[in-house]
Amino acid sequence: MSEIRIIIDGKECIGNQGDTILQIAEKNGVYIPTLCNDESVAHYGACGVCLVEGEGLPKLMRSCSTVVSDGWVLHTDSERVLKARKVALELLMSDHDGDCKGPCSLTCPAGTDCMAYVKEISKGNYHEAVRIIKDKFPLPASIGCVCPHPCEKECRRQYVEAPVSIAYLKRFAGMRDLEKDTWTPEIAPDTGKKVAIIGGGPAGLTAAYHLRVKGHAVTIYDAMDKMGGMLRYGIPEYRLPKEILDAEVKLIEDLGVVMKNGVRIGEDMTFEEIRSSADATILAIGAWESAKIGCAGEDAEGVIGAIEFLRRNITGDPYDIGDNVAVVGGGNAAMDACRSAIRLGAKNVHIIYRRTRDEMPADDEEIEESMEEGVAYDFLTNPVQIVSENGHVKEIKLQVMELGAPDASGRRSPIPIDGQFVVLPVDTVISAIGQRINAKGLDVELNQKGVIVVEEDTFRTNLRDVFGVGDAVHNKTGIAIEAIGDAVRASEVVDSFLKGELKPFKAPFVSIRKDMEKVKAELADREKVMRIQVPKRPAEERKHDFKDIVIQLTDEEVQNEAKRCLECGCHDYGECNLIKCANCQEICPDRLRGEYHPGFVETKLVTIERNQKKCIMCSLCVRTCDEVAQQGILGLVGRGFTTVIKPEFNDPATIAVCKDCHKCADICPTGALKIIG
Amino acid sequence: MRVIVGEGSCGIAAGAGKVYSALEEILNGGASFELGITGCIGMCFLEPIVDIYDGEDLAARLVHVSAEDAERIAEAAQSGSFAGIRDLVIAEDDASFLSQQTRIALRNCGIIDPTDIESYKARGGYQALEKVLKTMTPEEVIEVIKVSGLAGRGGAGFPTWFKWNAARDSKGEEKFLICNADEGDPGAFMDRAVIESDPHNLIEGMLIGAYAIGASEAIVYVRAEYPLAIIRLENAIKQATEAGIIGDNIMGSGFSCKFRYMAGAGAFVCGEETALIESLEGKRGMPRLKPPFPAAAGYQMKPSNINNVETFANVAWIINNGGEAFAAMGTEGSKGTKVFALTGKVRSGGLVEIPMGATLRHVIFDIGGGIRNDKKIKAVQMGGPSGGCIPESLLNTVIDYKALSATGAIMGSGGMVVMDETTCMVGMARFFLDFTSKESCGKCVHCRIGTRRMLEILTRIVEGNGQEGDIELLEELCNAIKDGALCGLGQTAPNPVLTTIKYFRDEYEAHIIRKQCPAKECVNLLRYHINPEKCKGCTMCAKKCPVQAISGEVKNPHEINQNLCIKCGQCITLCKFDAITAE
Repeated sequence: MSEIRIIIDGKECIGNQGDTILQIAEKNGVYIPTLCNDESVAHYGACGVCLVEGEGLPKLMRSCSTVVSDGWVLHTDSERVLKARKVALELLMSDHDGDCKGPCSLTCPAGTDCMAYVKEISKGNYHEAVRIIKDKFPLPASIGCVCPHPCEKECRRQYVEAPVSIAYLKRFAGMRDLEKDTWTPEIAPDTGKKVAIIGGGPAGLTAAYHLRVKGHAVTIYDAMDKMGGMLRYGIPEYRLPKEILDAEVKLIEDLGVVMKNGVRIGEDMTFEEIRSSADATILAIGAWESAKIGCAGEDAEGVIGAIEFLRRNITGDPYDIGDNVAVVGGGNAAMDACRSAIRLGAKNVHIIYRRTRDEMPADDEEIEESMEEGVAYDFLTNPVQIVSENGHVKEIKLQVMELGAPDASGRRSPIPIDGQFVVLPVDTVISAIGQRINAKGLDVELNQKGVIVVEEDTFRTNLRDVFGVGDAVHNKTGIAIEAIGDAVRASEVVDSFLKGELKPFKAPFVSIRKDMEKVKAELADREKVMRIQVPKRPAEERKHDFKDIVIQLTDEEVQNEAKRCLECGCHDYGECNLIKCANCQEICPDRLRGEYHPGFVETKLVTIERNQKKCIMCSLCVRTCDEVAQQGILGLVGRGFTTVIKPEFNDPATIAVCKDCHKCADICPTGALKIIG
Repeated sequence: MRVIVGEGSCGIAAGAGKVYSALEEILNGGASFELGITGCIGMCFLEPIVDIYDGEDLAARLVHVSAEDAERIAEAAQSGSFAGIRDLVIAEDDASFLSQQTRIALRNCGIIDPTDIESYKARGGYQALEKVLKTMTPEEVIEVIKVSGLAGRGGAGFPTWFKWNAARDSKGEEKFLICNADEGDPGAFMDRAVIESDPHNLIEGMLIGAYAIGASEAIVYVRAEYPLAIIRLENAIKQATEAGIIGDNIMGSGFSCKFRYMAGAGAFVCGEETALIESLEGKRGMPRLKPPFPAAAGYQMKPSNINNVETFANVAWIINNGGEAFAAMGTEGSKGTKVFALTGKVRSGGLVEIPMGATLRHVIFDIGGGIRNDKKIKAVQMGGPSGGCIPESLLNTVIDYKALSATGAIMGSGGMVVMDETTCMVGMARFFLDFTSKESCGKCVHCRIGTRRMLEILTRIVEGNGQEGDIELLEELCNAIKDGALCGLGQTAPNPVLTTIKYFRDEYEAHIIRKQCPAKECVNLLRYHINPEKCKGCTMCAKKCPVQAISGEVKNPHEINQNLCIKCGQCITLCKFDAITAE
């Protein structure tokens, strides 16, 4: 066989006479995407993804089938090739009616693979579940306790009856794994690079974990006595028992992360000292100051910010609140404050909120539980004056409000009703209307609100080696998992920076089902299985102490709850060649969005579930069944856009012939065929 | 005298069968004239047509004949006096439809009896085959075809000699010669006419080709939607076999060739040669990747040559008259004649065969008689779904492969659809995309999903939901599909869209930006309106409106409720006072 030489993308490639472009490219380590080609079957040329351009050759060529001539100069990335390939991929994705990931995972700010760990929990594999969670962050049990679980809001099980109790499942698995043989990651060999992280809250801990796992030497500096940030000093014990947090922090420390507590920037060490000690510095300082209410008299004694109030309780220096407490605000910090106030013995605790319950940002469950514990709600009221006596608050004057037209965010704005006021007697007023960042001592660029300015996709501040994550870089205070999400993405960027080339974070392209009505219709005949109610200690009992309010469920209960998962995401994500190709260049299938080809999911098959909606008609299954398995069971039926692969598996005659060899499912480049038996 | 009824599909559709039956009845009653049939003369607009021959001479051509005319036709044929049928005789203007043509491929159509081999032989049939078999080597045959400049009439215009030569040179014991008679373009019926009207001409051309390339079997792949063509072809094959023209040792020459036909299953894509071969092999009609080309590995992976019907229909004539005679007609790059199926808004539609080099204007106005109802011509669509639109301003373009391609359209197989000012060009592009997207075999992504997405975009445009950027998006899709589709069907599917955007971009813009259809054809963009000045309050429209959208008092101007109106157009047709308009 004579040798031939061609150039692909400037690289000399050597092959044999009779080689196709694809074969010669593979031999020489040049990647050309293809979806319908496999060495085990004859080439077919359907996908149009492997097109390349040859200098002096008029037409684009299919790499899978074009036999190379000596001396060709080929391009896999010319403008013409990229355009044709882009359209091919966009067309394919516009007709691929499937979800790569479940909506839970896509919604999770940290991108946790909820579906995967819920599935492991359903089988009792808590260790494996924790491994999956820790692919994203190191605090599964702690976050399982406190997370307001955006994932559950998108859970499609709600279209059957109610979302899967994802957050509780995570807490359960996390706690189980802490009991014994706790999962810990492998640490990459030392890179010799040093990272300094300022702030040991959820974001700082997560960044430290990932960068340590990647082999960097990480030191966390934190102003408080212990690590954990707001998880420790903001969340009351009854929601997150601190022994859980302690255990998870210790696991991180055990990986070799150096933790330095009691270091206040500008007092104990300067920012420059820390920065110069490391190759990269991450600022994860959070938002630790309560915003002012902004009404007259709020400087009086007895007015306290929620952050300070909660911290003092937790550090064993409880604030003297008296009998009558007003908490201003409707978020989760307000919930923590009012429920803590009840537990400290206040007789009358009021939530002052200028909108109605429907608009409250706090978690519904928390509102419910606070009500059970005796918190009163004064909706549609807004403080206008705090009246003091002898320098201490005595009463709070509230303007009565009503809801006006919706604002830009869609929330209806409260507007005052002229002349209507209510006066509430108070001993303490807790301000829980927002948090501010205190970046004192950090010599980085801040915006007008005092927020650290970072570049969106690199998390980099104005200093080339300093990055910022979490509440400190956002105008609006977020939840722990959002700060963690920042840290997950930023650690990748910082890792690339430490390796010499900073790569901005880019979210991978994923296929997402667009037609929710169709999804709902498909779920219409699902058997209803009620969501498990996580039992809580009775309000009368729990409101007198700060102990954990949750009563643990049994393994069986937890596993049954996990089995409710609909597994919306694709079993093939990770292996899927379609999504791999779709990510090899920038595509936007939405601009070509239209009808989907007809399709349905067949489950009554031999041992293969066939989802025609995901089928890309590459015919690899048809050809494999014919050429490799020598069965010839499958074929194409219909014409044009409505062509489908048939005969149906559930045809008794077909079932008789099928040898269950699974070759079709093995070769399927995407998740259209799934082995279920 | 002989009375000959034109019984092509179009003649039969217009009532030729009834005319023939009526004449036959008279004949059986004891009349003295001969009765026969012929195929299609190509003047669809005059069917049914009856010719009266005196000996070999055409004595009278009668048009728009009905069964009721049979008596007087019989009378005239017997008496030789045509006074009683003067009203049926073709008008001079109409006769010029034929007299301006040069017929080679169609030379026997409408003249001979297609069911009788002797009728074909009487016009010199099978003399070319005899000459080839007895006096020429295959190489000499190919040389004559080369000199003639004959190019594939199926659309691509590839030199016929080159394909024949390639198949001849291809190594292989067994070779095949295939005729592509899967004429699928909407509005095209050239090949049907040839098979129905002159099947032996096709057989003769194919046998000459088979001899030239060394094929042992010739196969006609004919679409099943042509039942009459199939009957006549089957009959002709039988007759030729009986006459020793098909089979072993043809005409004692030592050359043997089997001959058969196969009916397609109605898939447009099977007109693509590799899909045709797959279908012929009993597989799903999906194109193969080229290379290998059929000349090297075609039917049963053996050397095969494929030409379309019209190409073969020229072969016997070329052998008889010499390659030079054929090459004397036409332009530098396009030799001989070309048959077109002239349809659409043209006054005289039918089959037109003219030498290459004539202008489109000549075909449409001189032969076709211009536009019906004296409307203004807007464009002509050439080449069906693979072709494109040529605007009025380019009607002086000559019929020549290169010249037509330069406009963005193609020569195509011969479909020529004339459009006037009432044709919406976006709607026209949408029509063709609807066709190609449904006829895509479903194999490659660019075609299967791409044409569908183009159809969806065109649909939203004609429905008034077009968005800014849609034209650019269409263009981008078109270019990617041209580059990425696997076979000719997909690669050319964007042509109707590209040419209409090229020449009629303003119509697209009117639909998208102003939500107007300049041709007033897109129903969703129309608003019906009653002019109160003209409306007499006759209540006719209100009574007939199928959705009760029109209301008003008697003798008072009526009004249309736009929310109810379904724009069916009934009111406009009904109104005697021209009071209703669609804007």
